[in-house]
Amino acid sequence: MNYFSFYKGGKALYCLFFIGFILSFSSSSARNSNRSFSFIFQQHQVQGVITDGNAPLPGVTISVRGRADVNSITDYTGHYSISAGINDTLAVSFIGFKTKLIPVAGRVKVDIDLQYDTTTLQEVRVNAGYYSVKESERTGSIARITSKDIENQPVTNVLATMQGRMAGVSITQTTGVPGGGFDIKIRGQNSLRSGANSPLYIIDGVPYASDPIGSGITNLTFPTLSSPLNSINPNFIESIEVLKDADATSIYGSRGSNGVVLITTKKGKVGKTKFTLTSSTGGGTVTKFMDLMSTSQYLAMRKQAFKNDGLTEYSPWDYDVNGTWDQNRYTDWQKELLGRTAQITDLQGTLSGGSENTQFMLSGSYHSQSTVFPGTFMYKKGGSQFNLNHASDNRKFRLNFSAGVTLQNNDQPSFDFSYDARSLAPNAPRLYNPDGSLNWENSTWTNPLGNLNTEFESKTNDLTAGTAVSYEIIPELIVKANLGYTNLNNSETRIVPSTIYDPAYEVSSERSAIFLNDVKRDSWIAEPQINWKKELGTSTIDILAGATFQSQRSTRLQQSGTGFTSNSLIYDLAAAKVTKVLLSDETLYKYQAFFARVNYKYKQCYILNLTARRDGSSRFGPGKQFANFGAAGLAWLFSNESFFMQNKWLSFGKIRTSYGTTGNDQIGDYQFLDTYSNTGILYNGIPGLAPSRLFNADFGWETNKKLEAALELGFFGDRIFTTVAWYQNRSSNQLAGVPLPGSTGFTSYQANLDAVVQNSGLEFTLRTVNFKGHGFTWTTNLNLTFAENKLLKFPGLESSAYNQQYRIGEPLNIKLLYSFKGVDPQTGLYTFEDLNGDGAVTFPEDRQVAVNLNPQYYGGLQNQFSYKGITLDFLFQFIKQKNRTYPMGTAGMMANQQQRKTDSWSAPGDNAAYQMFSTGYDFPAVMATYSYNESTASVTDASFIRLKNISISYDLPLDLKQTQCRVILQGQNLLTFTKYVDGDPEFTSYGFLPPLKILTAGIQLTF
Amino acid sequence: MKTINLLVIRWLWLSAITLFISCDSFLEVELPKTQLTAVVVFQDYHTAEAALTDIYSNLRDSGILCGDGTGISNQLANYADEMVSSENPSNPSISFYTNSLLPSNNYVTGYWNFGYHQIYAANAVIEGAEKSSLTALQKKQLRGEALFIRGLIHFYLVNLFGDIPFVDQTDFKINRTVKRIPTAQVYEKIIADLREASVLLRTSDTDRNRVRPDAIVAKALLARTLLYINAYPEAANEASAVLNQVQTYSLEQPEKVFLRASRETIWQLESGGSGQNTAEGDYFIFTSAPPPYVSLSNSLVSSFSPGDLRKSSWIKGVSDGTTIWYHPYKYKENNPTAESKEYSIVLRLSEQYLIRAEARAWQGDLIGAKEDLNKIRHRAALTDTPALTQKEILDAVFLERKLELFTETGHRFFDLKRTGRLDAELGGMKKGWDSSDSLFPLPQNELSTNPNLRPQNPGY
Repeated sequence: MNYFSFYKGGKALYCLFFIGFILSFSSSSARNSNRSFSFIFQQHQVQGVITDGNAPLPGVTISVRGRADVNSITDYTGHYSISAGINDTLAVSFIGFKTKLIPVAGRVKVDIDLQYDTTTLQEVRVNAGYYSVKESERTGSIARITSKDIENQPVTNVLATMQGRMAGVSITQTTGVPGGGFDIKIRGQNSLRSGANSPLYIIDGVPYASDPIGSGITNLTFPTLSSPLNSINPNFIESIEVLKDADATSIYGSRGSNGVVLITTKKGKVGKTKFTLTSSTGGGTVTKFMDLMSTSQYLAMRKQAFKNDGLTEYSPWDYDVNGTWDQNRYTDWQKELLGRTAQITDLQGTLSGGSENTQFMLSGSYHSQSTVFPGTFMYKKGGSQFNLNHASDNRKFRLNFSAGVTLQNNDQPSFDFSYDARSLAPNAPRLYNPDGSLNWENSTWTNPLGNLNTEFESKTNDLTAGTAVSYEIIPELIVKANLGYTNLNNSETRIVPSTIYDPAYEVSSERSAIFLNDVKRDSWIAEPQINWKKELGTSTIDILAGATFQSQRSTRLQQSGTGFTSNSLIYDLAAAKVTKVLLSDETLYKYQAFFARVNYKYKQCYILNLTARRDGSSRFGPGKQFANFGAAGLAWLFSNESFFMQNKWLSFGKIRTSYGTTGNDQIGDYQFLDTYSNTGILYNGIPGLAPSRLFNADFGWETNKKLEAALELGFFGDRIFTTVAWYQNRSSNQLAGVPLPGSTGFTSYQANLDAVVQNSGLEFTLRTVNFKGHGFTWTTNLNLTFAENKLLKFPGLESSAYNQQYRIGEPLNIKLLYSFKGVDPQTGLYTFEDLNGDGAVTFPEDRQVAVNLNPQYYGGLQNQFSYKGITLDFLFQFIKQKNRTYPMGTAGMMANQQQRKTDSWSAPGDNAAYQMFSTGYDFPAVMATYSYNESTASVTDASFIRLKNISISYDLPLDLKQTQCRVILQGQNLLTFTKYVDGDPEFTSYGFLPPLKILTAGIQLTF
Repeated sequence: MKTINLLVIRWLWLSAITLFISCDSFLEVELPKTQLTAVVVFQDYHTAEAALTDIYSNLRDSGILCGDGTGISNQLANYADEMVSSENPSNPSISFYTNSLLPSNNYVTGYWNFGYHQIYAANAVIEGAEKSSLTALQKKQLRGEALFIRGLIHFYLVNLFGDIPFVDQTDFKINRTVKRIPTAQVYEKIIADLREASVLLRTSDTDRNRVRPDAIVAKALLARTLLYINAYPEAANEASAVLNQVQTYSLEQPEKVFLRASRETIWQLESGGSGQNTAEGDYFIFTSAPPPYVSLSNSLVSSFSPGDLRKSSWIKGVSDGTTIWYHPYKYKENNPTAESKEYSIVLRLSEQYLIRAEARAWQGDLIGAKEDLNKIRHRAALTDTPALTQKEILDAVFLERKLELFTETGHRFFDLKRTGRLDAELGGMKKGWDSSDSLFPLPQNELSTNPNLRPQNPGY
């Protein structure tokens, strides 16, 4: 039943492909008729070979000037053929090469050599949101990746594609379960509010709300709530730009504080209709398991624990040691529960083409991924994207329409098996009975596979549509409107059927339960704009002004049902004996702004860029709704100065700087109102009302002042291109969910704190073309970020609720820990420094050693080799950081432990690394373990170097003119070098599946 | 050309002006459909009552009085000597059984946070009602019930954590820096709340289901509170005030005591929905051995005399062929039924007899004490108590409380504690027991966020 609806989604997809096929036929027949028509004009076939001076170049576009309908592409051997008139001129263009114009001059064979154009890098237009700017002329800090890098990666989340590729952007995967989320920080954590550090996402001009969907009552599988970002399909993306500094982000005002991620989807290109089909398949496995004890080590630990505690008898439920379970049995639970290979299948089709005036692109994709867990869980995602560009004949009217639909169906176990895999006793019983049923070993254990009967299912439908229309009223004056609409529906269910329990307990379906969560979110945006651009002699002025109106409505409905006559009715809420509405709410968020940009360019040397925004948000109480933001950016292209023009080795030089303000309003809606909410729970026949929050009508915007200075240099025709940027962002008037003691009745409230958080750092990028020629190219890209986060000011920190969380002068991401002194050889217990010397180790006085858990530096090193049709691309990601070890309970209780714990104290005089084992009865030992996990001993080097991505592709030398065939091999996280002791070093919270190591093979056909 | 230019500029100005004018009104959002402002809630008695009754469902579902294993009925039974835990070692519940609670224990934090949240909600009702335009009678009812709740929660918190802050208003600016006050002062305030509640609330029982507190309910809790601070004459008086309501309350046969319509019930928490029964029954009852979570300790099961009806009707054994495990069987339903059969009982009549017996014994009224004690013994088909001296009678009452009130809201642990017998009774039989375990640790987070609550209780 559950598969049915997605099956429908799948059907839609096949229909889409089918339509694609039909369209491709129709346009090819159109082209044929065109050809026969063109013979009238005495056309003849011109052919030849295009090379880079040495080797043939495949994929080069050849067109006839002034004739948009005639064009051709070179095949693998660099050979082309095109019909042209004897007096026509051929235009030959290829990325990375200078465009060449060659008159046919009556010839039938025209061989062409293209020259490398190393300076095209400077000519690339970078999307800055409301405007675009030439790479060489940008005054702001913008990092960028394009489809070339994105397509190399076998991943499904847009944030995964950016990992390790952008300076200043730190991304951590939170779970290896498909459909899970990523943590992103652009230039560090600005806000004390942990949930308020996400950037603003904009897809083709339409803001995309990244606030988590889903609920903790249904989704227990991920460490975080479901993120809607999975709805964005990386394969449909042309480029991702990350705006970082004030110059780039101030125009986004209140939402720009944490940076802006601009996503531009692929668009159709002028030319013949092309159909591309890519199919790949592969597998994923866990990168690294923890080293846990074997059965003999484990049992030795248990026995020693009983001895240490002075217990002479095993209790009836110490099944592992009292002989109930086989003492010789060993199961590697990590292999058993997390050791499968996730099957990955990916299928994509794209149809694109268009005339000079109108271009289109239609893409469809389907992706499925199973899990490394036992059982048949599956993540499925399908979607389609449509883009249409149109310009009127006189180029005055322009239209761009893009729409994307994504359907996701994620079916997972209710709990990640990672916790069980690490804690189950290694001699715990087998999972299955010989007859295939779950083994409960006479009710002596909880079979982890009971979890297979629970199910977390998440279905998400997502639609994003954007339209940009512009009209040039008079020359140089363009009016424009951006209109967008998004609609997201997410429904999650989690079932807890009675079959998860040991059948001996005779739990009936009367106890089965279902939890449901439905989220609907729709938003619209309208942004009228006006743009005036004027060249005044040696200077250019470009002015943009506009307004934003945005409204977003979200509704949530959470329900539960318990008591079913049969488990087969569990998905039917109407069949539940008791149903409850746990939450029903609706929120409205309205946002309004006016923005402007003035860009002044003088002599191609000096550029001044001013941006400003006035923002209003319904999230604030009356009188606090509006605020102004603005920035100034300045660039000096000194390489364009006359005194540098003659320089042979310096091809590009720019110094830029910017300063400005941005804000943050990520605090949720209605927080300023004193209200009661309906709890949906009846008591004495009355549906209850509960206080919604501790209200505070008096909070306003968080402001972030950003300062940046950067130097960009290109050498030897930009074959070496480097950027060094220094930044310092100070976020003040902190909008925080201030933690409160429970004695207030709540655990937090919303307020502004007079605290200042500073993020500063150095970002370094280097791109070199190491070798070029004879058909062989080798390029290297390096990005490196040194970042520092610091709490500069926090009046009253000592007496505030944050007094055990932050320290002035230290980063936000610190942990205050006990100072570990080692194991006392006499008592066998962990000991800690008594910092205040009062004779006892107490909280909080002695838990005061601040340990920084932010990365010291991070980055990526990418190398790309291409030779003829073969391309090899690989990326190493590296992070220098510390992190916490995996906290296990008291060693000696009935749970497995890290193998290293075998080095434990057992008799007075022992010098051991770990304290004495205890069954949990020895309170000092339990307390010491707890303190140990909260001490400096729990911090370890978690730096790593990882072969994040490797991609090899080979264009098969087919002798088919219109068909290209490429074979692709892609890998993700294939190698990891780390000293981290407890499994994979990339995680945000304990006990969840680490990122997977993925290898896929695929084939791409273009015709 | 110029005219066009002019027109465009005029149009732009106009639209800019309209935009600015429409500015403020665009950002106005109407109140969310699912929320009411606090002022509106207390303008109407029905919504004000909803704000009050919601606290009872909250009491039932979370924190101290929750019946599902996380509440004290289960955890304190493990913490003392009534139950044995076979919970998964990773479950923080196990640390109650091993008496090794950490300041970060989820359930301990829950008792504190839910407790003060319920107190906040009660204070919000008190303040909301006071400022409202409701009738005097309506205000009396709201204030009376809210005061009862405030007293009830503080009573449990002071017994679990020792010196605690007494919170009597909603302003978080004050509540975030509250200080702990001595236990005796906390008791004074609890007693003041309960006394006022017993005056404000109606005496006549208008609530057939006994799920809303009335004056007698307040007096019953008052009797217990007074006993805990050794105010024996007053405790006996309040207990008598309850016991005198013979037309409403009377002892039932053991198998009927925990039924929804039991005449012994003074106050109970209505179950979560029609057909739902108690969370206690759901958690305690097991049908196959070994038990999944907890079972009764041998020391408790073997304390019953032969023929004690409570052993046969309130305890049930389940065997795996060799060993028998016992579970509390006071509540007999562990599944929903067509109509709810049982609600979670917080206060019942037999406790009042035992309160008065103890209070009378302390005052030297040995005959009266034995009379009350024998009422309870007779109901269990036992003969008169053989106790003669004051000490013997007090010991007999103490034992009777153990047998009568086992696994009900922590009675056993609190009795051991208030009579100073914790170390003597638990020290020998519980491996992890330590004198400082008489108090729970204050939640770690609480000490972090409110320095005024430091230092931590001894031993943690």
